[in-house]
Amino acid sequence: MTRQIPIVLLAIAAVVFPLSVHKIFLETGIERQLGTAQKIFYFHVPMAWIMMLFGLVCGIAAGIQLRRQSRRAEAVAIAAGEMVVLAGLGVLITGPIWGHASWGKAWTWDARQVTTGLLWLVFVAYVLVRRYGAAGSDRLAAALAIFGAVDVPVIYYAVKIWKTTHPSNDVVGTLPPEMWAALWPALGALLATAIALVAVRARQEMIEMDVDDAWVRVDELREAAKGAAS
Amino acid sequence: MPSGATPWPLAFRATTGSMRLPRQAWLLAKNDLRQELRDLELVATAGFFTLVVLVMFGLSFAALGRSAQPLAIPGMLWLAVAFVGALTLTRIFDRERESDTLRALLSAPVERLSIYLAKGAVTLLVLLGCCLVLVPGLVLLFPAGAVFAERPLTTAVLVVLGCVAYVAVGTLFAAGLAQSGGKNVLLSVILYPLTSPALMWALVSTRALLEGHPDLNTYLIQLAALDVLLVALGGVLFEAVLVGSTGRKPARERGRRRR
Amino acid sequence: MNSSILGGSQAVAEPPQDDEYEAVEGLDRASIECTRMHEAAAAKKTASDYEHIVWSYGVLWSLFAIYGVMLWRRGARLRGDVETLRTRIDKA
Repeated sequence: MTRQIPIVLLAIAAVVFPLSVHKIFLETGIERQLGTAQKIFYFHVPMAWIMMLFGLVCGIAAGIQLRRQSRRAEAVAIAAGEMVVLAGLGVLITGPIWGHASWGKAWTWDARQVTTGLLWLVFVAYVLVRRYGAAGSDRLAAALAIFGAVDVPVIYYAVKIWKTTHPSNDVVGTLPPEMWAALWPALGALLATAIALVAVRARQEMIEMDVDDAWVRVDELREAAKGAAS
Repeated sequence: MPSGATPWPLAFRATTGSMRLPRQAWLLAKNDLRQELRDLELVATAGFFTLVVLVMFGLSFAALGRSAQPLAIPGMLWLAVAFVGALTLTRIFDRERESDTLRALLSAPVERLSIYLAKGAVTLLVLLGCCLVLVPGLVLLFPAGAVFAERPLTTAVLVVLGCVAYVAVGTLFAAGLAQSGGKNVLLSVILYPLTSPALMWALVSTRALLEGHPDLNTYLIQLAALDVLLVALGGVLFEAVLVGSTGRKPARERGRRRR
Repeated sequence: MNSSILGGSQAVAEPPQDDEYEAVEGLDRASIECTRMHEAAAAKKTASDYEHIVWSYGVLWSLFAIYGVMLWRRGARLRGDVETLRTRIDKA
């Protein structure tokens, strides 16, 4: 049953994605100030939300992993951490493309760009520690993820007092309803894809842990058999 | 001996305990300091490294105009602190690893939080010692740095607050890396992104100090609040990271997948 | 750059010599040129915007696709690993 979830989600994304493209490009007007390039907004912003969401998921799962020694939580944390890196890469690439089209400058060092960049670096560090850390660094990586999740607002305010030129937060709040209508399907398609990939990755991680344990058991049994034979 | 079965409550209990925690932390720190006084290894290497970095900064930025200096000096100060801090943290826990005393310490009947506090305090002292070279050096090298000399108390508060934030995060992860027998390369990988907000705050405060900005006190209070948050988070996570739980298979058994 | 667009409007802008033409009111050469120029600029901007949009869409979905392929290969490797493990157990 749980095996089908990613497939169902991907199928939903496959249906919703053309719908969202239709809505974005044919049914929604062109924004007056930012022009056609503003249409990047409809998948740039959902991608940023996905990044934040999975950053939070990663931090919480890492907390559960530390507290309860739960393998499921550990697998979810790993998968979510990788998704943060992936979504962050998406945000960090589409953002400058939009900036280049609208402001004429790809990277302006404004608060939200830098915040996203720093947060992305934290989760890249998480993935690096998971991948290259010595055995037993899983708890260290979990602490890193928790720090990363806690750091989100801190980084945001730190960057804000550091410098700001970005459209302020209420841009999303005052969006005309037709733009909201175009934003939801895009968010749905991207979120469904992201969740599906995270679910697949988490499942793989759990299987991998089991296989590792099985290998160790086989080795132990072989050693024992060898010891008994000699 | 406290078993590791209940990772977090122990750290909490430690904070509610009477004088036990500070005394243990003081004893542990004193032990480290005594060894340090004997061979001066940390202070000598870190101090020399600071000097080298300072000379490099002088060579690179000597031609900087007067108006650009208030923008560049904070960067130099906190970058140097970040470099020296990583170096010191690596060395402090390497020493523990060489004699395998960290494991012994962790299984000894001391509060884990006091280990965190003691190691953090020693690192902080070394770092502040380096700042005693760094800040006067910047004053000598750059005319705009004279503000540091004019307002020594504010400068001291600022440097201490910034270093505490850095050390709070650094001690936790350096200890974790030493414990897992890990590669120390990862320390910088972890430390720089995680401490970037604290360093940015320190950066902004330093710039405000150099430019005589009226918001300086607000920034300093915010930095202090951040310090409290980071130390608390580090203290809570320290035990969970270093000791983990007995309910789980030892990590060594699951090392196979690295292949 | 605008000459090709303005070329078509040349005839309209020319004042009619004989009665075969009926004067078009309200269209002088300067305003047409101005309009065409703005139209061209707008078209160029829109085209460039669409190029940016296609790029960012492409990047986004290819990121997902690359990650998907990585997961796929990981799954295949895992399956192979389980197979070897199974044969190892059967042998023992």
